[in-house]
Amino acid sequence: MRRPGTSNVIIRRRRRELVVGAILLVLFVLLPLPIGNTYLRGLIVLTLLYAGLSQGWNILGGYCGQISLGHALYFGIGAYTSAMLFTVLGVPPTLGMFAGGILAGLAALLVGWPCFRLSGHYYAIATLVVGMTALLLVQNWDFVNAAMGITIPFRADSWSDLEFRVAVLPFHYVMLAYAAVAWLIAWVVEGSRWGFYWRAVKDDATAARSLAVRVFPSKMAAAAISGFITGVGGALYSQYVGFIDPDSTLGLSLSVLIALPAVVGGVGTLWGPLLGAAVLIPVQQLSIAWLGSAGNGIDLMIYGMLIIALALARPQGLVSLLGVRSQAGGEVAESA
Amino acid sequence: MTAAIVLQVAIGGLLMGLIYALVAAGLSLIFGLMDVVNFAHGELLMLAMYATFTIHQALGLDPLVQLPLIALLLFGAGAAIYRGLIARSLAVRFNTGMVQVFVTFGLSIFLVGAAQLVFGSDFRAISDGVLSNRTVAIGQVVLPLAQVAAGLICLLAFAALVLISRTEFGRALEATREDREAVALIGIDRDKVFSVGWGIGGAAVGIAGVMLSNFYYISPTVGSNFALIAYVTVALGGFGSLPGALIAGVLVGLVEALTALVMDPSLKQVGIFAIYVLVLMFRPRGLFGRL
Amino acid sequence: MQTAGRGGGTWCGRMGSGHAARRAGRAPAVYPLSGNAAPIGHDAQMALETEADIINGHDNIPMLLGQGGGLPRLGGAKIKLVFADSQNNPQIARTETERLITQDHVIAVIGSYTSATAVTISQICNRYQIPYISAENSAPSLNQQGLAWFFRPSPTDNDFSAAMFDFFRGIGKQTGRPVHTVAIIHENSVFGTDSSRIQSGLAAKAGIKVLADISYQASTPSLSVEAERLKAANADVVLPSSYTSDAILLMRAMHDAGYTPKAIVAQDAGFIDPAFLKAVGPLAEGVMTRSSFALDATKTRPAIPKVNALVKAHDDGKDLTDMTAREVTALQVLADAINRAGSTKNTELQAALKVTDIPGNQTIMPWVGIKFDSTGQNTEGNPVIQQYQHGQWHTIFPLDVATAPAIWNVGE
Repeated sequence: MRRPGTSNVIIRRRRRELVVGAILLVLFVLLPLPIGNTYLRGLIVLTLLYAGLSQGWNILGGYCGQISLGHALYFGIGAYTSAMLFTVLGVPPTLGMFAGGILAGLAALLVGWPCFRLSGHYYAIATLVVGMTALLLVQNWDFVNAAMGITIPFRADSWSDLEFRVAVLPFHYVMLAYAAVAWLIAWVVEGSRWGFYWRAVKDDATAARSLAVRVFPSKMAAAAISGFITGVGGALYSQYVGFIDPDSTLGLSLSVLIALPAVVGGVGTLWGPLLGAAVLIPVQQLSIAWLGSAGNGIDLMIYGMLIIALALARPQGLVSLLGVRSQAGGEVAESA
Repeated sequence: MTAAIVLQVAIGGLLMGLIYALVAAGLSLIFGLMDVVNFAHGELLMLAMYATFTIHQALGLDPLVQLPLIALLLFGAGAAIYRGLIARSLAVRFNTGMVQVFVTFGLSIFLVGAAQLVFGSDFRAISDGVLSNRTVAIGQVVLPLAQVAAGLICLLAFAALVLISRTEFGRALEATREDREAVALIGIDRDKVFSVGWGIGGAAVGIAGVMLSNFYYISPTVGSNFALIAYVTVALGGFGSLPGALIAGVLVGLVEALTALVMDPSLKQVGIFAIYVLVLMFRPRGLFGRL
Repeated sequence: MQTAGRGGGTWCGRMGSGHAARRAGRAPAVYPLSGNAAPIGHDAQMALETEADIINGHDNIPMLLGQGGGLPRLGGAKIKLVFADSQNNPQIARTETERLITQDHVIAVIGSYTSATAVTISQICNRYQIPYISAENSAPSLNQQGLAWFFRPSPTDNDFSAAMFDFFRGIGKQTGRPVHTVAIIHENSVFGTDSSRIQSGLAAKAGIKVLADISYQASTPSLSVEAERLKAANADVVLPSSYTSDAILLMRAMHDAGYTPKAIVAQDAGFIDPAFLKAVGPLAEGVMTRSSFALDATKTRPAIPKVNALVKAHDDGKDLTDMTAREVTALQVLADAINRAGSTKNTELQAALKVTDIPGNQTIMPWVGIKFDSTGQNTEGNPVIQQYQHGQWHTIFPLDVATAPAIWNVGE
């Protein structure tokens, strides 16, 4: 087998991706400056958060093919770790978020180890069950204040504490950095030996069997990275919103919302999660803003229809509109 | 904790488990056919309950009487979902598994919103049915009549499902599941088989819904209360296996009830999840999974 | 799948009058308008709109600002409402509140039914220095956050549970059949967990034994085992903290188990929901609940019949409940403050709110009055205990406002 990344075509494509990424980064750095509207800025912050979260999910779900419906677990671990460290020990969240990410990554390894030998749908439901179990347990865990949740007190504007009274701009840059790093990690992974194994495994079942022994450790690595990214996102969320409780950080709808941008945008692609988040998050938030006050469920109907329409019309994801082909290809992974 | 209480709780759990089993059976059937996990299954249950309630209010028909009607209605709904959405997603050549998962997710969100629009979000309940508020005593054990009836009907429905699987059509279903491409060669219309399969799956959950509406409340989000348990039940029993769904359902119902007796009831689902994890460690395809 | 959503709506009030030079002041209301708690949010919306109509209209109701015609000290400026859906999600509640504050320039925020949303809404209001009027959030921790822009007319769970135990003392003395044991059963989110904690503490202080403390998930398919455990405990009083859905299941499950508790004293919420009463029918007979509102206090609160009629007309024929009455009052408090401030400027509004002093008989609530302490909590809101007798809620405690004798089966 040829070593991955040695073909000129591939090298050029990857360079192109870096260039496009850099351009997008600059654009996003400048984007909020002309927009004075706090709500719109906040919308972009959320979009960037979910772009990063979904990119993290994508590493496991898109490239590696393991569809996890319980990623909120890692989000919650990150959020709670950072919040507890901050409120109990005074550890600044800029450090706490790494602690959260690492714990989340470890949790992902713990979950992956027994679950990776389950095929497709069994794996998905197993991750669902793990997520739901975590929710139930945390709701009853007094150490983290159980169902009552944790309020992150605002003391003063501070970059190390990631707290800003009403300014949204700092959060924009924090979330942008988060999304950009997540993207970069995905870019590196895509071009690595692991990425090569995963693509081979997805396209050819015989290769899957013969490579099984080698693939398992790489799947574990994917899980750890994915968990880490998701956990860091959770910590950032808890600073942004200022309050966390089990329902808002470990629930199933959050797990779905983490996966959805990647699916809609294009699983297993670099740009998919970003594109998907850019479409889904504004639609979700704006439909609540415009239609939610009527209280008649129309915002849910629109959201649901949009997901169906996008999944059916563009199963390869919205990236296909840009002429980008998925590097992951193929079906949901069967067991190795 | 007397023996009488334990027996009472166990039988109650068993009855509830039969309902879980029927809901799971529909799900298992659909998966068995075409590798599709219907994430809108809970909402089909919700639709059946609302339909029962509405007809009861409008025409005064008791839920029991409505059984065949709702079963037919949900049969139609299931088939319609197949024709309208799933058939399209099967035709997709890319990421089919993921597309199906998220199409049905989108459908479930849509249906909750639609139910809120049409029926409002207030909780409804049927309190004047033939089975409502009655209990039946067997020795020291006292059971709500509505739940006993639900258990019995679900068992009958299961028997019906097994019978169907033994018929010509049932064999066609089996064949289609085994090899989708080949069946066309022997004249089996794949689309028709799938539509009917989805219809039967819908009818099964519809019957469960009718029986539930005798004693459970009805709201747009009520489906989610049963959906998670249904998915775990199917995975536990094995995707595509009817006997698996029955045994897993009963097991789940029993474990849930007994866990609530000895532990804090808010953790009773953890008992179910623990059993699930245990089984999957030793049998990754569930108790009777074949795929 | 698990949504666990209980909704919240945001309510905004806009000020308008004939004057060209008037400033537009809006007050948003943030409530759950979709999801599991949507019925509550919907009722809140109806209640607030009714009160706005009263303030703006000509209904001539014998209470503060009930004469209508807008706000007198602002030239008859009218209140206009703007609602936002929180979907019972703290992040969405915060985002929506921030949107209303920064885009619609609201002058105050009312909300929000659940604690989780109240935390984020009150925090963001504090940051923007906009008053938040907590209509019916009852978690005690909310006014302990050190927020200078938080105002809560409603009593807290501490007050509510204290009222229950005051009632036990009172009825025990009166009938000679005091309470010796209780069984607590509660749903396991903030509402139930908080409430059960407070009740256990109060029981210990009163020397009452807690025979069972059962928590359950509100979305559970069945409460039969929980009911069996209550039956086995056989306490003098069952103390449930439940939402509507689980309240329905609980009553039916206890009935199915052949268990009729001697006394049920509920934490309001689901037990006062008309949907619950409709669903369980005769099973609700004799159920007691704490309440911040007494519909039958018409002698001392003459405004009640008229306000109730207006609310009924707005909200599918539903009477005023403990929730909707507090929502009406919250808007009344806000409107009064705006009126006294004579302006919509936030600092002046805050100053006016701080010195609020509304006598109870100028409201529909059975309270002594509305006066905020330094943490923004009303110190004069006293709850009552009510009992469902013959299809209606009757106040049974305190004795000086009771309209019917309690049906007390403990010790029989």
